[in-house]
Amino acid sequence: MNRIPVILDCDTGVDDAIAIMLINKLPQFNLLALTSVAGNVELEKTTNNALRVLELIKSDIPVYRGAAKPIFREHVKAVYIHGENGLGGIELPQTSHVVPGITAWDYIYQEALKWQGELEIIAIGPLTNLGLAFIKYKQLPELIKRIVIMGGSASIGNVTPAAEFNIYVDPEAADIVFRSGVPVYMCGLDITMKAYLTAEEISQVGALGTKPAKFFQEVAQGPLNFSLRIGLAGMSLHDPAAVLYASDPSIFETHQVGMRVETKGPLSIGRTVTDLYSDTQWQNNGFIITDVDRKAFYQKVIALMSQY
Amino acid sequence: MNKIPVILDGDPGHDDAIAWVLANASPLLDIRACTSVCGNQTIEKTSYNSMRVMALIGLNVPFAMGRKKPLLREPIIAPNVHGETGLDGPALPEPAIKPEPIDGVELMAKVLKESAEPVTLVPTGPLTNIGALLLLYPELKPKIARISLMGGGIYFGNWTPAAEFNILVDPEAANIVFRSGVPITMSGLDVTEEALVFPEDFERIRALNNPVATVVAEWLDFFYKFHRGKGYDGAPVHDALAVTALVKPEILTMKDYYVQVETAGDFTTGMTIADHFGVLRQQPNATVVLGIDRQAFVDLLVEAAAYYGKVAG
Repeated sequence: MNRIPVILDCDTGVDDAIAIMLINKLPQFNLLALTSVAGNVELEKTTNNALRVLELIKSDIPVYRGAAKPIFREHVKAVYIHGENGLGGIELPQTSHVVPGITAWDYIYQEALKWQGELEIIAIGPLTNLGLAFIKYKQLPELIKRIVIMGGSASIGNVTPAAEFNIYVDPEAADIVFRSGVPVYMCGLDITMKAYLTAEEISQVGALGTKPAKFFQEVAQGPLNFSLRIGLAGMSLHDPAAVLYASDPSIFETHQVGMRVETKGPLSIGRTVTDLYSDTQWQNNGFIITDVDRKAFYQKVIALMSQY
Repeated sequence: MNKIPVILDGDPGHDDAIAWVLANASPLLDIRACTSVCGNQTIEKTSYNSMRVMALIGLNVPFAMGRKKPLLREPIIAPNVHGETGLDGPALPEPAIKPEPIDGVELMAKVLKESAEPVTLVPTGPLTNIGALLLLYPELKPKIARISLMGGGIYFGNWTPAAEFNILVDPEAANIVFRSGVPITMSGLDVTEEALVFPEDFERIRALNNPVATVVAEWLDFFYKFHRGKGYDGAPVHDALAVTALVKPEILTMKDYYVQVETAGDFTTGMTIADHFGVLRQQPNATVVLGIDRQAFVDLLVEAAAYYGKVAG
């Protein structure tokens, strides 16, 4: 089987860490590298967290450092979910790996050229790196096959009533990506809120007993408790949902739509507006993922984690 | 039993007209006045239609015309939905009354001042008049019991991907209304797109064979023609929900939210944004109608249409 060359762009982050552990075991992908971005926490932490997670799972793929702040705005963090260090206070062993001296956006372009249109990007943090890449390299859109994102929402927001965190942090970058011409597959809150694991299921993953599995359980506790406290049924695996969607859409529901990002409305900055129903009939530029078979999703998660 | 005093404010419009048919038939409501607003059609046309509908249903209360335009914007009209007259379809009687020589907002203020008890406002068009009333007569807020409006949608839009028509036409007025502190019941697309009246339901109404029922059936025929082309199985009688929320709330499901209206987005102007997770830590300002027992709603419309057979007989 030809494995799909893919770069995972992430702001590691609790659920990013889980996404990294899962993508590492997905046979569909040839994971070339991780690229880091400021998001859940600062860039130095997201970069270092990515390296430490790779060390934990004994992967030697590189991590390329990306943008330290959004294109136009000041950086907004999500420490209330991810903790000050981004991994709920858990100190994974330090790594000896060195970050190469090339930026994430230059690296993405370099690989895109090399793979001649076959490269896919899974972006599970703010879209700053891709935004910068499209600004710098005007021929890049023709070289990327598709972009699967965790971000946005066609229904409810989380960081504000209208907006999801990743898009809210860098709405201009998201706008550039949505208008790039590369098909965007949006795994937003519409789907990721449905892709949750219950406390019991998270314990079952931990009970696998390996170091990665135990880390999964421990790192999930913060977001899990937060989710239970606000009345949700479990912890949403936002970023893993995008990774699993990219690997196999069969347990998900997908609709082709026109999508835009609001960058100006005072109450709705970072809103992803999707034309699923209206009279406007925007031109299609992507796909929105709206549903998932949650049980099957959990089965995939635990099956992948049991490979460690 | 004490009736609920109401002012009907609309831009008839097929679904506004049916909302008024429903309101006038209800023993629970005491209609104190009607006002028109520019929305589905120009103010001249919606005013004329308002008075024709009032003549049809024998509603003899003061009527006044609203403003020519939204508070800050140019009008948007919807001839594709409601036709050139704004109420295309069956022939209607000519107006039986003359408009009051005052603005719609002044008529509302007069009714509120003169009423012993607070009055419920039922806007089924853009919120221009209500916004102007709240701006010009803030002292009358305590005289407004509730605003039961048709507009918005907390999950999606219709005229644009993010906005429903009534709110989009005058988002600044809507913003004023939602920030007013007056209790709001919002029947938006979340419920109105579920409140479909099917062709077989039209026939139940037509079979009543009274002058109002016949016209209502023909309005539904007309209204459905547009919607069938868009893939609907029936006619969404949006505006009737604002009245239903007052006369038959037990057939609706509702939830309280803090709702804001966006006025300045590239793609989100006119969006009604509900704070699902309470991230803004605000008290709810609106009861949002989210679901309906469709069959019970149709029964309510049939019952209302039947009322006009009894009064005529």
